[in-house]
Amino acid sequence: MDANSSVGLELLNHFYQSRLTVERAAPIAEGGNRLKRSEDKEKRSREQGTRLTRGELFWIFLKAGFAFGGGLGILAVLEDELVDKRLAVTKEEFLTIYGIGRIVPSGTMTALAVAYGYKFGGLSGTVITLAALSLPVFVLTIALTIAYHYLRNSRVFDLLPVTIMPAALALIVVAALKLGKDVFRPSRELIFAGVAFSFALFLRLNPAFILLAGGVLGAFALRRIDVEDRAKKKGSEK
Amino acid sequence: MSLWKLALLIALFNLMTFGNGPVMIPLLQTHLVEGTRVLSQDQLLYAFTIARVTPGQANFYVASIGYMLYGMPGAIVATLAIILPGYIMIPLLHGFEHLRDSRWIEGFTKGLTVTSVGLILAAVVQIARGTLTQPVAWLVLIAMLVMTQLLKWKTFVALAAVSCLGLLLKWLL
Repeated sequence: MDANSSVGLELLNHFYQSRLTVERAAPIAEGGNRLKRSEDKEKRSREQGTRLTRGELFWIFLKAGFAFGGGLGILAVLEDELVDKRLAVTKEEFLTIYGIGRIVPSGTMTALAVAYGYKFGGLSGTVITLAALSLPVFVLTIALTIAYHYLRNSRVFDLLPVTIMPAALALIVVAALKLGKDVFRPSRELIFAGVAFSFALFLRLNPAFILLAGGVLGAFALRRIDVEDRAKKKGSEK
Repeated sequence: MSLWKLALLIALFNLMTFGNGPVMIPLLQTHLVEGTRVLSQDQLLYAFTIARVTPGQANFYVASIGYMLYGMPGAIVATLAIILPGYIMIPLLHGFEHLRDSRWIEGFTKGLTVTSVGLILAAVVQIARGTLTQPVAWLVLIAMLVMTQLLKWKTFVALAAVSCLGLLLKWLL
């Protein structure tokens, strides 16, 4: 009980802290509002574990699929729809499923789509949620890739090296900075990142091996110690 | 490289990185751009840019890579390669109690993440050597960093602004 609630709290903290820094996901108003109207009266009487129809599942995840801001943008829409508006999932359950989703070796949001699809619609439900969540990004990605093919045959293509390409490189740098807030101060994390950087750049080791080694070593060296131990350690450090 | 080998590589990289889009960049760079040379540097950068301006999951730019190499079948296969591992969620939902709490997995992903910061930055240096051949390109890179990090502009707006800047400088110089 104790362990569970502390994990829950930590997730909650993590979720809301990150959410403050990420802009609220842009909602597509039409999809959600139409479905919401009929629910207001029932809301009070509803118990946890409300069933969702396949249509509702599709709309919720389609709406989430239009959210910007990566995982947290999607998460915000899902929480809004499943927990606040439809009362289909309790807050605690939502955080638990998010916690499990984070240890699934695929995108966390992909894992959440599977979880809720399965919960409300069985295996065929997962197909609905995955399709709905992935539809916007898939269509836009393909459209922009086709645009690239057209660019390639035009004179504009010669201008990419001074426009999109350096900008893309900057975006990669930004992504790296976002990943590792711990990395940029004296810490064990800094050593991990520094060693990985030099092994990859100077020794030309395969990044896949470095990545796996980092994970395995991290399991030993960066494992979170239990709350009391940690507090004790912090006390002795200061 | 056959379509199936590509699918296998993408599936493997996705599993290794826990589906994190940016973390896959050094792996794709090493194996598709430098190793087998099936993908050009520009193509990888363009695909990643797509990921930054589209909504939804951030690792879907592999669909763009799939499309560049094999057309629509490539895009679909690449997408399935990153989606299907999500089904590991179902057994986890039934027997997660001890796993969710696992400090080991948490430490593993932490190690993965911090290591990848170093790897991504190393990949950036390598890519920069080939891509930033003109001084204008460096200016555009710096302007992009300033606009997104210091001025907190939206990615799309900043992208449009630095593109105009790049064109202007190219025309002037």
